Amino acid sequence: MIAPSRGAGGNDPSRAAGGDKGDGSGLRWWAAFSSSPTLRLVVRRILVAIPVMVGVTFLTAVLLNLLPGDAASALLGADATPQEVHQLYLKLHLNEPFFVRYWQWIVGVFHGHLGASLQNGQPVAQIIGQRLPITFELIVFASIVMLLISIPLAMLCARRPGGVVDRITMVLSMGFLSVPQFVLGLIFVLVFAVIFRVFPALGYTPITQSVGENLRDFTLPAFSIALPLAGFYVRLLRADLIEQMESQDYVVTARAKGFGSWYILTRHAFRNSLIGFVTIFGLNVATLFAYTVIVEEIFGLPGLGYALINGVGDRDAPLVQGIVLVLAGIVVIVNLLTDLTYGVIDPRVRYGRSAV
Amino acid sequence: MAALLSETETQILPEAVLEEIPVRRGRGWVRSLDIYIPGVFLLALLFVCFIWPYLYTIPPPVGGSILDAGLPVGSPGHIFGTTAVGNDVMSRLIYGGRTSFEIVFAVQGLGLAVGGLIGVMAAMMRGVAETVAMRLLDVIIAFPAFVLVVVIVLGLGASEINLIWALAVISVPTFARVARAGAVTVRERTYVVAAELSGSKRWQIALRHVVPNIITSLLTFAVLGAGVVVILEATVSYFGYGIPPPGPSWGNMIATGQTTMSARPSLLLIPCITLLITVIALNTLSEGMRRRWGAVR
Repeated sequence: MIAPSRGAGGNDPSRAAGGDKGDGSGLRWWAAFSSSPTLRLVVRRILVAIPVMVGVTFLTAVLLNLLPGDAASALLGADATPQEVHQLYLKLHLNEPFFVRYWQWIVGVFHGHLGASLQNGQPVAQIIGQRLPITFELIVFASIVMLLISIPLAMLCARRPGGVVDRITMVLSMGFLSVPQFVLGLIFVLVFAVIFRVFPALGYTPITQSVGENLRDFTLPAFSIALPLAGFYVRLLRADLIEQMESQDYVVTARAKGFGSWYILTRHAFRNSLIGFVTIFGLNVATLFAYTVIVEEIFGLPGLGYALINGVGDRDAPLVQGIVLVLAGIVVIVNLLTDLTYGVIDPRVRYGRSAV
Repeated sequence: MAALLSETETQILPEAVLEEIPVRRGRGWVRSLDIYIPGVFLLALLFVCFIWPYLYTIPPPVGGSILDAGLPVGSPGHIFGTTAVGNDVMSRLIYGGRTSFEIVFAVQGLGLAVGGLIGVMAAMMRGVAETVAMRLLDVIIAFPAFVLVVVIVLGLGASEINLIWALAVISVPTFARVARAGAVTVRERTYVVAAELSGSKRWQIALRHVVPNIITSLLTFAVLGAGVVVILEATVSYFGYGIPPPGPSWGNMIATGQTTMSARPSLLLIPCITLLITVIALNTLSEGMRRRWGAVR
């Protein structure tokens, strides 16, 4: 609970930014702003996120700086003479103190420049622009597959707990929950690319070139991420659905009104279980990204995770910090979206009193 | 993995995921089959990895003769065949398992001791110290575990002991979080209030009341986390950041098996299946333990 006066004070900078067009429109804008709790939540969250994101990139820079070796020797390899390494070292400004380098980078970020990769001078923003869509497609594809598997299965299980479908699902989900993504990915490659040759083992076709080819390239990676996740979410959703069906008053009411259990499950219990589901899903987005790192590496998808690991190997500070910044931003946005969806799922939580 | 979900899945693993069908059949030991089956299997695996090599001569895991290279599964003296450089696959599996289990015991031991201590201390101190400690640990938990482990191992250099430190950085905060969550519920119980009123020191309350109450849930969590650690270790070694290649590890066996996948799938499948079964056993055991002892709520 935040008193209105405090909320308004905290948001003054955004007010100044939005109220440029003159007093009248500024006031109207402010009125709209302060009367919409959702908008206030969004702005407050974004303002809070800025120092967090700066902190995360600073931590990354410190960690990267602690690693032995530097970009100059990493780029030139073991065969380079000390003179060559030293020249590149000076050229990349690595001789400047750590804080100076970080300060220049972060000031650049606030001016809208993410800097250039030490590796080839390519702007970091451009690299991220090329690679983010690939990772994004992978995550979206995997999430859709995961949802399509886990939601219907969880409902079938919850309909008859202890029944045949339930038992088989619980055993299978334990198996998939336990399988590492890279093992699943390799087994998929063995079965579907080496033995049956249905899907390619490696490679990436841009979606602009051929949608079908692109989806074929993404199928095995997406399933390698989705199946272990589905094992996890089936169990989560099933347990919650069963609890709703067994202990909630609204279920008793619905039963008394004569609705069938399938109807109650899909219309009442599922909607209530969805809140927990969305929360966990939102919290796990950072984890989901760790899987894409692994899977991109196995299937040779030139995504963000791939770039991140290579960037760490090359001690490419601007690239790594830029990627971390973007990822932290995505996590912040996803968490915000998660909070906003509560209002959509559950009318009792339309923001206002209990926000944040 | 999913557990990774863990990212380390250890991450946010709601208890619900591990709750099974509430139906109970049989009586006596039959009821505890869900603990005995994976438990006995894991003990057998530990026996094979740590004691069997002393009882029975097995070929060394490295330095095999090139004359024995590429033997198929079922060859005399080499049940699972040999690798492309002539090392016995069975032996590499055993020694690789030994590496994995050593790492798991060390990492979870450190996690249990250090993380448990931090969690209980945070809960007992309350106030600012508690908040600050937990928020700091949250930062580590929020970071993708795999990336963090890789960065730390790159910094320290690839070796078994460094892998243990890197993985412990992941396990300590998760243990601390579980320990604190348990300790927070215990510290509000009336018998703790009674102990406080009767003048017990905080460390006495922690040792006498809090620790015994949360230890089963911590142990259950340790077994669950062990599955995650096994997977993380294998993943990191698979990508070549963990146990350096001639040394045996399930992860790098999978990596080398991958290169000859079409000609000799057994070199890929055998370590994959071993890894998978081990993780399933750990997860099932943890599930059984949780059902039996429950979690501190």
